[in-house]
Amino acid sequence: MASHASSRRPFRWRPDQQWEGYLFILPSFAGFLIFIVLAVAMSLGISFSDWGLTGFKSFAGLRNYQQLLRDPLFWQASTNTVFYIVTIVPMQLALGLVMAVGLNQAIRGVTVYRLIYFMPVVTTIVAGAIVFRLLLATNGPVNSLLTTLTGALGVPFSAPNWLGSSQFSKWSVVILTLWKNTGFTMVVYLAALQGVPKELYDAAHTDGANAWQRFRHVTLPLISPTTFFLFIFQMIGAFQLFTEPFVMTRGGPANSSLSVVQYIYLAAFRDIRMDKAAAMAWMLFIVIFAFTLFQNFMQKRWVYYESE
Amino acid sequence: MQLKRTMSIGVLVLVMALVLSACAGIAPQAAAPTGEQAAAGETTTITWAFWGSPEEAASHKMVADAFMAEHPEIQIEIWNQPWDDYFTKIQALWASGDTKVIPDVAFLWPTPRYAAEGVLENLDPYIEASGYDLNDYWPGLLESAKYQGSVYGFPRDIEVNVIYYNKDMFDAAGVAYPSNDWTWDDFLAAAEKLTQKDANGVTTVYALAAEGGKWAKWVNQNGGAILDDYVNPSKCMLTDPASVAGIQFFADLMNNGYAMRDADLSQAGGDAAVFMSGQAAMILQNTSRVSAFNAAGMNYDVAPAPIPAGGKRWNGAGGAAWVMSSGSDNKDAAWTFLQWLQSAGGGETLYTERGEIFPALQSVANSPAFMTDQPPANKEAIITEAAASDVGGFGYFPEWDELSGSIIEPGLQTVWAGEADAASAVAAICAQADQFLADNGYPK
Repeated sequence: MASHASSRRPFRWRPDQQWEGYLFILPSFAGFLIFIVLAVAMSLGISFSDWGLTGFKSFAGLRNYQQLLRDPLFWQASTNTVFYIVTIVPMQLALGLVMAVGLNQAIRGVTVYRLIYFMPVVTTIVAGAIVFRLLLATNGPVNSLLTTLTGALGVPFSAPNWLGSSQFSKWSVVILTLWKNTGFTMVVYLAALQGVPKELYDAAHTDGANAWQRFRHVTLPLISPTTFFLFIFQMIGAFQLFTEPFVMTRGGPANSSLSVVQYIYLAAFRDIRMDKAAAMAWMLFIVIFAFTLFQNFMQKRWVYYESE
Repeated sequence: MQLKRTMSIGVLVLVMALVLSACAGIAPQAAAPTGEQAAAGETTTITWAFWGSPEEAASHKMVADAFMAEHPEIQIEIWNQPWDDYFTKIQALWASGDTKVIPDVAFLWPTPRYAAEGVLENLDPYIEASGYDLNDYWPGLLESAKYQGSVYGFPRDIEVNVIYYNKDMFDAAGVAYPSNDWTWDDFLAAAEKLTQKDANGVTTVYALAAEGGKWAKWVNQNGGAILDDYVNPSKCMLTDPASVAGIQFFADLMNNGYAMRDADLSQAGGDAAVFMSGQAAMILQNTSRVSAFNAAGMNYDVAPAPIPAGGKRWNGAGGAAWVMSSGSDNKDAAWTFLQWLQSAGGGETLYTERGEIFPALQSVANSPAFMTDQPPANKEAIITEAAASDVGGFGYFPEWDELSGSIIEPGLQTVWAGEADAASAVAAICAQADQFLADNGYPK
């Protein structure tokens, strides 16, 4: 992989290339220029301006950024988002892997199970959220179950107000996100597991490795590129979490489940502070970019590529 | 090879042609309204924007038809979006600056926020020129549509929050119906009898279901305030003992199990749902619930909200307003329509007759359009609350929505959830609010 990357040359015009190729990509490339590049450049400009509904008012320099750093709600939304990242990403990876390993066995009806576990991924999130709001209601099924279980075990328990208390609201968002996205992780892991050569297991078995050792020293290293991909992918997804808290708790109560992207949305469309929203979007971008670069750098330590 | 090249160029030309024809297909449609207008001669077409469900849109459509019957020279074109999309889409129209797509007359809230952006027309000159009567509005109501002292919109209705009570539940509990001058103490005595709890002390039937957002009534009744000035604030007033007591009164209703907690209420489907299902004997809400309760054939009536001993009656004066775009290219026609919408015999009467609104105009509220023989019987209660309308429910400066939505309401949610008491919550709120005001350059 690494050798491939270094042999690639930067873009250079070669006379033997057919120019019509560029005409063919022109429509989508023009769209990319206008709707992505231009929009991104505009948002950078807006973040350094005093910009309202009707457009440019004055140049603001770093004022929007300075305001944000002083804004307690921005910090609260950031803290919430960090909470989402450190809960959702590892739990999703672990659960997805466990499900994939389970469904990689020769068991009866395995296709049906795979289908069931993947179904939330293709389900409308709003419909899912409505069901979860009912499930997690104060006197809903989840709390009834927990009360019955703890009652049977004799453990003192008071039913949590999942959606209405600031201690639990983030967890209800985490639960919805896990339900919605773990199926995707599972499918990707399943594909990776099926790519692990059987001979390696046979060899390890011959060497006397037990099931756990085979998993730890054969499976895990061989699927580490997949883990790396999923890790980056889901971390970015968690940084950009919007729909889940929006439909589940609206960010409340007391902003306890508000995510950064939700705050960007509120700043832009509730407060009509396009400048503040753009500044926040750029800060988020810088953080995500830095994290991704860092992970990319760190992958040498734990990601194993077969081609190397 | 050559053939392949020719073919690929041919395909490309075809694709381009398709793309271009698709673009060309849109253009004549966009130009159509002006074409029709030219053909019809002197008719002017104005665009009228509002949010609302299909049922609400039907009312607006009926109003537009009534107007066009009276004013054949003006055509109304409707631009209707659901509430969730309305604001982002209308902002995009205004931001485009294209007078062809900007709605001439629009339904809007909050008016000062948009007036500050320069997208709304100052209505003062039109009011002066036509002698339009502003004194018919409920007291304090027009303040919500003013910016820097000028009127930028006409509130269509006024939110009048009254107590709805279930007569059957009062009868069953042996509680006398509320009087028009009942107090907080009377209310608490009734609430204790109306509330039903199970063996574990968990409430099964609540005396009251009221949205957390209704808290400003208790604060203002008790002589408290949110800000020292609602146009040009310099400090948060929620730490004032009268304000704290008002918030704590509401919080204690919830803490004692008399009132449903805000989060539980929204989970249960809102106050109309719990009132109709008998989970709550009373709700505090505006007049928008009347048609649903009448349709369900409920045995209910309304009463003014109870007031504290030594307190005053208070109703927050506010309602979404009709505004005119500063980018309108038919301002005279737009004004004719606006004025008609906000007149007795015009839009106000029609909306009121359909039970859609409690009118912004006092003359319409006191006319047969509102004083029908339909329930609720005690319409005087609504008039009494409306007459006590005043500023104090919200700020009239552009940053109010941000202050309220990001700091005040979230801070109070911890009180409604029973996680904090009023005094500690407002201390945190006011610290943040004062910083927010200073950051935004208040007082100006």
